[in-house]
Amino acid sequence: MISIRNLDFRFPRGGFRLVVPRFDVPAGGRVAILGASGSGKTTLLDLLAGIRVPDAGSVTVAGQEISRLPDTARRHFRIHRIGLIFQAFELLEYLTVQENLLLPYRMSPSLRPDADTGARLSRLAEETGIGGRLRRYPDQLSHGERQRAAICRALIAAPDLILADEPTGNLDPENKRRVLDLLLGQVAGHGATLVMVTHDHDLLEPFDRVVQMRDFHGAEAA
Amino acid sequence: MKGTVRRLASLGSLLALVGCEPAEQGAMVGPAPPSGDATVEIYAINYPLAWMAERIGGDAARVTLPVPEGVDPAHWQPSAETVLAYQRADIVLLNGAGYAAWTEFASLSPSRLVDTTRGLEDRFVSAGAMTHSHGPAGEHDHADVASHTWLDPELAAGQARAIEGAMVTRVPDRADALRQRLQSLVAELAALDQRLALAFQGWRGEGVLYSHPVYQYLDARYGLAGRSLTWEPGQDPGKGEWDALAARLAEAPAAVMLWEDEPLPATAGRLRAMGIEPVVFHTGAGPPATGDYLALMEENLGRLARFNETVGAGDN
Amino acid sequence: MRDVVYLAWRYLVFNRWKTGILIAAITVIVFLPLALELVLERSSERLRARAAATPLLFGAPGSALELALSSLYFSGESPAPLDYAIVAELGDTRLAAAIPLHLGYRVGSHPVIGTSPDYFPFRDLSIAQGRMLALSGEAVLGAAAADSLDAAPGGGVVTAPESVFDVTGTYPVRLRVVGVLEPTGTPDDEGVFVDIRTAWIVGGIGHGHEDLQDPTASGSVLKRDDSNIVANAAVVEYRDITPENLADFHFHGAEDEFPLSAVIAVPVDAKSGVLLEGRYQSPDSPVRVVRPTEVMDDLLATVFTVRQYVLVAVALVGAATLATIALVFLLSIRLRRAEIQTMIRIGAAPGRVAAILGTEILLVLIASLLMAGLLTGIATAFGDEIFRWLLQSGVL
Repeated sequence: MISIRNLDFRFPRGGFRLVVPRFDVPAGGRVAILGASGSGKTTLLDLLAGIRVPDAGSVTVAGQEISRLPDTARRHFRIHRIGLIFQAFELLEYLTVQENLLLPYRMSPSLRPDADTGARLSRLAEETGIGGRLRRYPDQLSHGERQRAAICRALIAAPDLILADEPTGNLDPENKRRVLDLLLGQVAGHGATLVMVTHDHDLLEPFDRVVQMRDFHGAEAA
Repeated sequence: MKGTVRRLASLGSLLALVGCEPAEQGAMVGPAPPSGDATVEIYAINYPLAWMAERIGGDAARVTLPVPEGVDPAHWQPSAETVLAYQRADIVLLNGAGYAAWTEFASLSPSRLVDTTRGLEDRFVSAGAMTHSHGPAGEHDHADVASHTWLDPELAAGQARAIEGAMVTRVPDRADALRQRLQSLVAELAALDQRLALAFQGWRGEGVLYSHPVYQYLDARYGLAGRSLTWEPGQDPGKGEWDALAARLAEAPAAVMLWEDEPLPATAGRLRAMGIEPVVFHTGAGPPATGDYLALMEENLGRLARFNETVGAGDN
Repeated sequence: MRDVVYLAWRYLVFNRWKTGILIAAITVIVFLPLALELVLERSSERLRARAAATPLLFGAPGSALELALSSLYFSGESPAPLDYAIVAELGDTRLAAAIPLHLGYRVGSHPVIGTSPDYFPFRDLSIAQGRMLALSGEAVLGAAAADSLDAAPGGGVVTAPESVFDVTGTYPVRLRVVGVLEPTGTPDDEGVFVDIRTAWIVGGIGHGHEDLQDPTASGSVLKRDDSNIVANAAVVEYRDITPENLADFHFHGAEDEFPLSAVIAVPVDAKSGVLLEGRYQSPDSPVRVVRPTEVMDDLLATVFTVRQYVLVAVALVGAATLATIALVFLLSIRLRRAEIQTMIRIGAAPGRVAAILGTEILLVLIASLLMAGLLTGIATAFGDEIFRWLLQSGVL
């Protein structure tokens, strides 16, 4: 599913530099990326999502070398094939939970709801326990419910790849486990690949592989 | 700057009073403009004026005197509805000289009023009535001029001219006819004047009394030097009045007393006993039962002649 | 496009207070100059119309503006009086009909307008209830005055003394209401119309009292001689003018010298108007003649000059407000950075995000313009009544 070769990325005004010689994730794999704050975890996810482009090297996702694609094509690929989950949930406060779940369909004219979208939404909401919350607004949900909604949003378009950036970072220990199980269950149920960034060692056990950022050459530029 | 602020302040209060109707147009004021075969609607406040208006106006005028029969126009108080009828007239003929006090308190348009004695004030005669005064302004005189001006045929002719002038303004295309009728009327009044002068010739020395103070203009015109009482034809004067009369006769005798109407037989008899002949001289303020003003004057002249015959004072 | 509008709409509705305030602010900026123009345009139209319908005004020498304002709109100070003789004088010229006006007294806040029956057809006033004036002591009320005083034919209203401190001057007089006029939307609606002689009675020139020659009045008599009776202050003066006591009323002095505030002269034709004006143009003339249209044009010219300054001020304030609103938008965008980043990360093109934010601004502007348009429409239809209410209720 994912293949990175000789990736070299620097931030435009200097500062952080990320070098990844090689990184592979098979389809359906579940990979946890561990690293300290500032180690480049989020940057790596951005590169995998096509949000950023490496200065050198290649990033291939689902057979597509996205690092070579133009901006529009990368967005198109991202919105159709990749689901993103953010640490801070990032639900839009002025949309209901249901509207937030369907937000990806409003982000690009190329992604339109199909005949199954409604059924998929209902199933996702039921399975994640937020079926009765669809008409509420985000500020009316608990932290855990909000993260579950974020998970649903990431899965609504049936993506091939889920990139999760510290999805349990803002949750209490009880909810962390619950949300993680939910996420892993949904990923498995959809046959998607999961790359999750975390700094929480307690959550690593269910993953196929754990990658340390220090295995890559992420460092401040000299 | 101050002026500008004041103007703006004025505008502010003005805006409160300005409404939302479309632009208003000033409407006609006064009687309708004259047209070819229009008639002038004339209301008069006494019979002599009404008569003169009819004589002058002919078919060009529709004259109304709404005073009820038997009511003295000088003291008549019309109803509000009657006043509104006066308002609708093209011309309202006033006698002037304080005649008909009701006109002072009726709402009438100045543009339609014709004071027929305006400009003749130098001919007015004092009524010799009681004044009263009060308040900070001190003494005031209350319109103490005599008001039966038409009894002087010369003044009446002046009033006729005023009537004709007002009519000509309203129906100018009938001016020639109006003028002709005025001239005819003035000639008749002049003839009446001569006959009255003849009839009253020599009366001055005889001592003339008037039952009521309404003959001042007759008195002034013909030099009668008469004295007025305040007796009513249909009432006995009362002991006080008889005594007062006797006292006055002691100072200056009298031979004749003019009455507006027939006195009571008892009154007439008593006067004759005192050497005073009662002679009826209708003032013509109200319309006569028959005939017109000149016919009424003709009757008056007849009675004067009969008196003159009895005292050998002259004939017409 | 639908999604862009939908998201913009949802944001604005969710933040309804902020949205409402922005719409209100922009509406005010747009509506204010429009309203000002509308008010000035309509008001000047009406002021000019009333002035144009009044050919000539005669008054005592003095301020032409004061004369015009008081005679046409019954506002401001009463001008210096002129003699009633001018009415006959004008009649004698045969060039114009004269309508006398006597002002200065009030019933409550409503002006007492002493005039002649000619005033009513001149101003196209017709009776809605009751009848026209016929006798002294009667009053015909304008529609608004009748409403405000809660008076109808058969009732009465009482005049106010000229001054609260005028203890030795005019006294309140009770007027009998005999008619109410149809509403006209002009200052006449506020008037209490009386005959000119009634106005003189209100002013104390005419009065009625017990007959001093009657023995029952002896208590009021100070002294008496052959020709005059002097009465003391105890003489009972009538405050009510009724058909029963009308005969006891009288005036002191010569009518030609009685006061008027102004005379409306209605020339027979245009040439007569010019001739009439020419006769009274001399600086030594005891009477001043004024063309109300010229006075109003002068006044409005001043107003429209000031209007320019006001519009400039409004424009500056508007620009400042719009700048502030723009700042609010920019700050809002900064606060929504996370939201914007989320949309971009999910897959929205920067152009789409800009479109959503731009659409929010556009919707606010459209709503503001619609609201301003609605308010302008309301002001056009009902502005006069609203403005008059605001002025009379003391809000403005």
